[in-house]
Amino acid sequence: MSAGAITDCSQASPGDVTVEVCVIGSGSGGATAAWELAKAGRDVLVLEEGGDYTGRALTQRDGAMYDQLYMDRGGRATSDLSIAVLQGRVLGGGGVINASDVVPIDDDVARHWQKKFGLSGFGPESLEPFRKAALEDLSANRPADELLNRNNQLLRDGAGKLGWKGEVMLHNRVGCVGSGTCLIGCAFDAKRNPRFVAIPRALEAGARVFTRARAVRLDDAGKELKRVAVRCLDAKGYHEGAAFTVRARHVVLAANAVSSAELLLKSGLGNEHVGHHLSLQPQLPVTVRYDDEVRFFRGIPQAYAVTQFEQREHPEHGWWGFRLEAIAGTPGIVGSLLPEVGAPGLELMRGYSKLGAALLLLPDAMQGRVRVESSGRLRIDYALDEELRGRFREAVKAMARLSLAVGAKEVYVPSVPPVRVRSEAELGNVDGLTLAPTTAPLLSAHQQGTVRMAPNERDGAASPEGEVYGTRGVFVFDSSGFPSSASSHTMAPIITVSRMLARQLAARG
Amino acid sequence: MSLRPFSELSRRRLLRVALGAGGLVAGGVGSVFALRGSAPRVEGLRALSPHEYRTMASLAEAMFPRETLPAGDPAVDLARAFDGYLADEPTWARDEAKQALTLLELGPVLFDRRLATFSNLALSERVAHFERWGRSDSGLRRQVATGFRKFLCLVFYDQPSAWPGLGYEGPMRP
Repeated sequence: MSAGAITDCSQASPGDVTVEVCVIGSGSGGATAAWELAKAGRDVLVLEEGGDYTGRALTQRDGAMYDQLYMDRGGRATSDLSIAVLQGRVLGGGGVINASDVVPIDDDVARHWQKKFGLSGFGPESLEPFRKAALEDLSANRPADELLNRNNQLLRDGAGKLGWKGEVMLHNRVGCVGSGTCLIGCAFDAKRNPRFVAIPRALEAGARVFTRARAVRLDDAGKELKRVAVRCLDAKGYHEGAAFTVRARHVVLAANAVSSAELLLKSGLGNEHVGHHLSLQPQLPVTVRYDDEVRFFRGIPQAYAVTQFEQREHPEHGWWGFRLEAIAGTPGIVGSLLPEVGAPGLELMRGYSKLGAALLLLPDAMQGRVRVESSGRLRIDYALDEELRGRFREAVKAMARLSLAVGAKEVYVPSVPPVRVRSEAELGNVDGLTLAPTTAPLLSAHQQGTVRMAPNERDGAASPEGEVYGTRGVFVFDSSGFPSSASSHTMAPIITVSRMLARQLAARG
Repeated sequence: MSLRPFSELSRRRLLRVALGAGGLVAGGVGSVFALRGSAPRVEGLRALSPHEYRTMASLAEAMFPRETLPAGDPAVDLARAFDGYLADEPTWARDEAKQALTLLELGPVLFDRRLATFSNLALSERVAHFERWGRSDSGLRRQVATGFRKFLCLVFYDQPSAWPGLGYEGPMRP
């Protein structure tokens, strides 16, 4: 088998192609599937809408990198603008722009999938070899203490003082220099993400990769050869150009839980579950002001997590509760979160180097929905119910208590109006946090569930093998298939499940 | 860049909001727009009209009042940056953003019964007006305020000239 290559479709249209397997998306799910299927001797083509960014091309500047590495130039959001939906659009997918945390599917979550959703093949024993392989792919390791910046240390110290459980999460960095710009790509190529592991190995095994190639429609899903309509994009990915067609015996969707569902809906494929059950796993950033320098923008942004308030065996939802995780942001992103206008906003930002920050991360009840309007526009609907709002308020109070325990001057929720807590006596201020639409900078980094797997068509959109009901040979190998939140960080779970499903597909012949 | 979509801002909805405010009916469309006055010509715009450019520049000045910036803080033309961003957006997103700018410009007339549009307000009034939109009970006005605020802050604080004032020395070089 000769090695495959990366073709940039912004330079020239490759023309129509016929392959055995067309994989749509090059992130954790797509890259892993491509590698496994190519290794098994399949003729594989990967379509990626984004460009190929590594090393110095990752400029560490907010404007250019959100523009180039994220879907909709960083502007994707729910239809009421309440939640920013962060989704990678780059060769390597979300792994290029995530915080590099490696949190495998928990045994309890796997059992929940078996028990509540009837996914008998997803038990801890079945998943174990694939979880192990995912950790190997990612070179998963525990960050050394000296790489924990002061923001992470403060979170750990606070948890220790209060006797709360927490952990330094595994990560997939090797040779990290602590530049701190993980969320807009690592210019030092220290992330062992799909771009540096599964993609090169898939290429070695003969797979081909087209970048700046947007799959716009999938036809003939019941026939032996499916047709994927593709448009080349320009060099920046702004405008569609030449069209070509990929004919494939199998099509593997791995374009993220939003985009995989979007393509099925635009193509009129799948049953009534497609697009439903969207989990956004919403997160709320909270900043903390200290008297002295924190410099959260250097070192690993997100290493320590407070796990005290997590529940793993919730009968209805599996993983539940909330986590507090350290986070950092470059000036553009931190500035854009603040609600203040004029001089007060400038004054707050002058204290940037004394800020600490955390993300409050909540598993949800999969209450969202991806739709395509009659105009063809994507719409992401998601409503925060009162239970979720209440859990967020609990999480803010926990974060405030922890921060005050380590000497914080003020805990500040960048909401409208802002919520400030300067002492235990002010914890009640948090009850004023309404979380009404567009009053707080909520975000989602782990979308899941829109083409969920189930043992029958009545309960889900895809079979336990990932095959979309109503099609023959169209699969979902990304977080779309997860029936509930798999983990607080979905990269390792997606690799785990994709490899398992890809091997099953390869074994089909 | 955190702006798209003003997804609720369909033409129909914009019209409904404006009609709800009573301004367009009472004053007539033409006279409301006449209150904007003339906008200076701006060379090289790719997406915005001179009026829209002026609205964005007026908002940028309210967000980052020049007198509060220490010497050396950025003098980046945020309205032109917005123009450049919009020029590469899909038509529907560009149209919605332009409608949002129009709504912001006419806001004082439509919602506050003022006889001056946004760009013609004094700086302190512009700051107060935009703050009110951020806190408004109207989801649409909050959306407009959120979208523009995020864009302007992201571009402003992404400028190297802003960093010394923040204690940030910029990216590490590989």
